[in-house]
Amino acid sequence: MPSQSSVEVSNLTKYYGKLLAVDQINFEVKTKELFGFLGPNGAGKTTTINMLTGVTKPTSGTAFILGHDVTQEPVRAKEHVGVVTDVSGVYDEMTAWDNINFCAKIHGVPKEKRMSRAKELLELFGLYNRRNDRADTFSRGMKKRLMIATALVHEPEILFLDEPTTGLDVQSSRQIRDLIKELNRNGATVFLTTHYIEEADQLCQRVAIIDRGKIVTLDTPEKLKTMVQAEHIIEVSFDHGEEIADKLKRLGYVRDVVTAGDKFKLYVEDPSAMLPLIFHFAEKNHLKVVSVNTLKPTLEDAFVKLTGLRPEVMATEKEHVKPARG
Amino acid sequence: MVKAWIEDAKRAVCIAEKDVKIYFFKGPNLTFGLLLPVVLYLAFSIGRTVELTLAIPGLVAMAAFFGAGAIQAISLPLERRTGTFSTLLTAPISLFTIILGKTLAGFFFGIVLSLAYTTIMMPFSSLPNLPLFFFGILFSSFVFSAFGLFLSAPFRDIPQAMPPSTVVRIAMVFLCGVFTPIETLPISLQVVAYSLPLTYSVDALRQAMSGPINIQMFLIDLVVQFFYAIVFLIAATKAVKRTIE
Repeated sequence: MPSQSSVEVSNLTKYYGKLLAVDQINFEVKTKELFGFLGPNGAGKTTTINMLTGVTKPTSGTAFILGHDVTQEPVRAKEHVGVVTDVSGVYDEMTAWDNINFCAKIHGVPKEKRMSRAKELLELFGLYNRRNDRADTFSRGMKKRLMIATALVHEPEILFLDEPTTGLDVQSSRQIRDLIKELNRNGATVFLTTHYIEEADQLCQRVAIIDRGKIVTLDTPEKLKTMVQAEHIIEVSFDHGEEIADKLKRLGYVRDVVTAGDKFKLYVEDPSAMLPLIFHFAEKNHLKVVSVNTLKPTLEDAFVKLTGLRPEVMATEKEHVKPARG
Repeated sequence: MVKAWIEDAKRAVCIAEKDVKIYFFKGPNLTFGLLLPVVLYLAFSIGRTVELTLAIPGLVAMAAFFGAGAIQAISLPLERRTGTFSTLLTAPISLFTIILGKTLAGFFFGIVLSLAYTTIMMPFSSLPNLPLFFFGILFSSFVFSAFGLFLSAPFRDIPQAMPPSTVVRIAMVFLCGVFTPIETLPISLQVVAYSLPLTYSVDALRQAMSGPINIQMFLIDLVVQFFYAIVFLIAATKAVKRTIE
């Protein structure tokens, strides 16, 4: 992995009035890296991206984009970045073609290059046939693709993506993830925020977990998983039996129980000693064991252990500002 | 340096083009820009004798005043609400360039509406000194556009931005000699009137339309308006900057 840094952040802090949104965070994003910022809503992900891209000013600390201080040389810093915000950054009243052209103009793309670049991007994102349609006739997934296309029009070295798949259907999400991987393979440095643990695991080379404005940990997904390797996980499901998590917690060797759908994840010290106890527990409570598996820790397990948060808090969708017409 | 300025100016024009395309036919624009000057004029003139030579320059000044400002009361708050303002903020352009671009859109809207009013009113008025009249419209539209942007700069939504800007602007109309000569106002209000840019706009247009033209006074009117435009541009930039800090 290349070692040069594209983004360097030191003690970055943001207060909104008295509210501390981001608390002295430090990290760097290496050139050509796909870096993830994972955390629940309100953790400080968007505020961080906003500080790095000029949407808001840091209260203190420094951030450099390819060596340019984002507060001292904001215009120079912004020349190198493309940004896909978590809200709609495209103009609903304008066509896809006009949106891309407008972004090309304000990014100073020369006239002779603008047309070919717009065509190339619209084709790449599967929107060329809809180029003359207004953006407000697009689905969420199409609009998101258009936003990514507009962010790439000036061929930025670094792409900031703020929750690019939030609110999208499964197919659109997959399309966007494939595009992100492709962009990174082609040499773009990608800074991605997400509250989908699986997304961070699938896409990112390194992940910073942020919670309540602080970076809890930062490492590769695999190394984060090894942090919880010492614990063993047994996943068990019964034919029925609601509200038995508390009873399971009281079994010997069990350190924690997490409910995942109709399954229970038991974090245990000694799985071989635990298995007979599970069957005994089932018999005693008139339950039938439907399945029992030992699992390798996932990034979700690492997240739970490191933040103390339940995975359910990550599933809460961010409330979006509905674009207005009129 | 000059090259960078030209590049900035080009990007400001691009923002202005986009704003004109998107916001030109929005409801508040047409209501405030096109109808409000007529409504105010009728409300004030019905039942009393208002000289046309006095009224027409005031009406054209009001068209520039409300026209240039109307687009500003919606474009900035709406962009903030929908999130497209982030697209501008993340582009490699200064905040001043964004503000200048938005001001140019209002400037254009003010010119179009003032010229529309001039054309309609031409048969009822004495022939104005066209070049001076046009200069009057240009400077008026520019300062009122910057003023409109300054008024809407702190707000994130149209319903928040509209009332204060409307109240301030209507109050200005009654103070700045649009309907009543300033000399007839009490001294304290005359002081207020002479500290407002609309006064200089009305005076410049009135000189150009009905004379007598005092070129020195006319130039002072333009210089004062230009000075106010710069002040409003800087103040609007600072006000927007405060909202992103």
